[in-house]
Amino acid sequence: MSNEHTVKSYEEELQFLVDSVIKMGSLTESQMVDSMDAIIKVDKDSIDKIIKSDDEINKFRSKIDTQIMTLLVKRAPMAIDLRETISSLKISQDLERIGDLSKSNAKKVKPLPLDLPEELLSNLKRLGELVIKQLNDVLDSYVNKNYDKAKEVWEKDEQVDDLTYIAMESVIDFLSKDKKNLDFSTHLIFATKNLERAGDHITNIAESICYLIKGEYLKGSRPKGKVIQE
Amino acid sequence: MNEVKIKSNNLNVFYGDKQALFDVNLDLNEKEVTALIGPSGCGKSTFIRCINRMNDVIDICKVTGNIEIDGVEINDENLDVVSLRERVGMVFQKPNPFPKSIYDNISYGPKIHGKGETKSELDEIVERSLKKAALWEEVKDRLDEPGTGLSGGQQQRLCIARAISVNPEVILMDEPCSALDPIATAKIEELIDELKKTYTIVIVTHSMAQAVRVSQKTGFFHLGKLIEVGKTEKIFKNPDNKMTQDYITGRFG
Repeated sequence: MSNEHTVKSYEEELQFLVDSVIKMGSLTESQMVDSMDAIIKVDKDSIDKIIKSDDEINKFRSKIDTQIMTLLVKRAPMAIDLRETISSLKISQDLERIGDLSKSNAKKVKPLPLDLPEELLSNLKRLGELVIKQLNDVLDSYVNKNYDKAKEVWEKDEQVDDLTYIAMESVIDFLSKDKKNLDFSTHLIFATKNLERAGDHITNIAESICYLIKGEYLKGSRPKGKVIQE
Repeated sequence: MNEVKIKSNNLNVFYGDKQALFDVNLDLNEKEVTALIGPSGCGKSTFIRCINRMNDVIDICKVTGNIEIDGVEINDENLDVVSLRERVGMVFQKPNPFPKSIYDNISYGPKIHGKGETKSELDEIVERSLKKAALWEEVKDRLDEPGTGLSGGQQQRLCIARAISVNPEVILMDEPCSALDPIATAKIEELIDELKKTYTIVIVTHSMAQAVRVSQKTGFFHLGKLIEVGKTEKIFKNPDNKMTQDYITGRFG
């Protein structure tokens, strides 16, 4: 949005919408960091706080929906403004889903034993770090309207898939050693899968950003890692 | 995409010393609606007035370059302007029915162009034109009442019926809905959608939403130049030119 609108309040409304998405993104990122921390440290005390933070994220989503409805009705946005409005809608939906997945992961901390072996968690930790980095990068590309960076995130999801596969394997290995591990291993498998799904939502956000910037969808199919193919 | 019906090549228009159009090259497709948008004074109305040589009536107006309809140059001085205007009808911003009956408004054109010799032929033309303009049901029982007694929206449809009564190939519309309420506008827009099956339509509009709704192709004019032309959907979602984007998003300063 280089030049300003003739109607100043329209300009402000659009900027307010973008700011809301950025704030929602930053909340979602903190929530994901907290939920990963809770899993790795098996920190049961933080579960409630993380669940509560999801309410905040959901409230943002409703607020953004309302802002978008108002913009559509009042301004009938065109071209870049239309793309800005529609991508806000799509990005906020994906952020909300990522929030749900982080909340779900936080809940999985409860049944975990406090003495989880380090090697079991190390791959999950690596996966978590990668997904958090992806989320951070995609939000950064949104703030700076950086097409190349968004596309990079989109392509990098392949690594998320590969790490998911590795993390899953290590949990299954652990599970096969002793059937007593079944209960909490299942939770870890779901937590791993949740991270992989969060990664997919991040690629959706990257696609929305690319569309927002260039007005066309990314061409070709996204590179996919091991888990998806099997 | 349909075939090109009207083609302008390096069209320039001057009103005295003032140049109103600069080298406009624009193709208009057959049986399609082309919308022309742009700020006031950008040349869009001047452009459509070249298509039926309405600019001829302005003494100081000079046109260079050419406009072809079906490959035939219309600026040729030997061309019969009356028959050109029979082929290229026009509807204006403000409905302007003749101060005559509804029937006479429609039958006048065919009569002077020698298209309806008998009363029954004229009756048939009047009914067909009013039906095509989606006005027949509303006026069939009062054809002898004055056209000026109709509502604004009905008057505009009467003018459209009058334009199509001589069976033209092209209809030019210069902001046809700007004096109408939303319902009357919706009726005209629906009518345009129907008419494009038979006619090539060019519409000048200040309403972006209307351009999106009714047209397949949109041209954006600024200061007498055609800045960008393309598929309507592309122009309003993702125009190539920054000036087009600034105009349609309301950033023009």
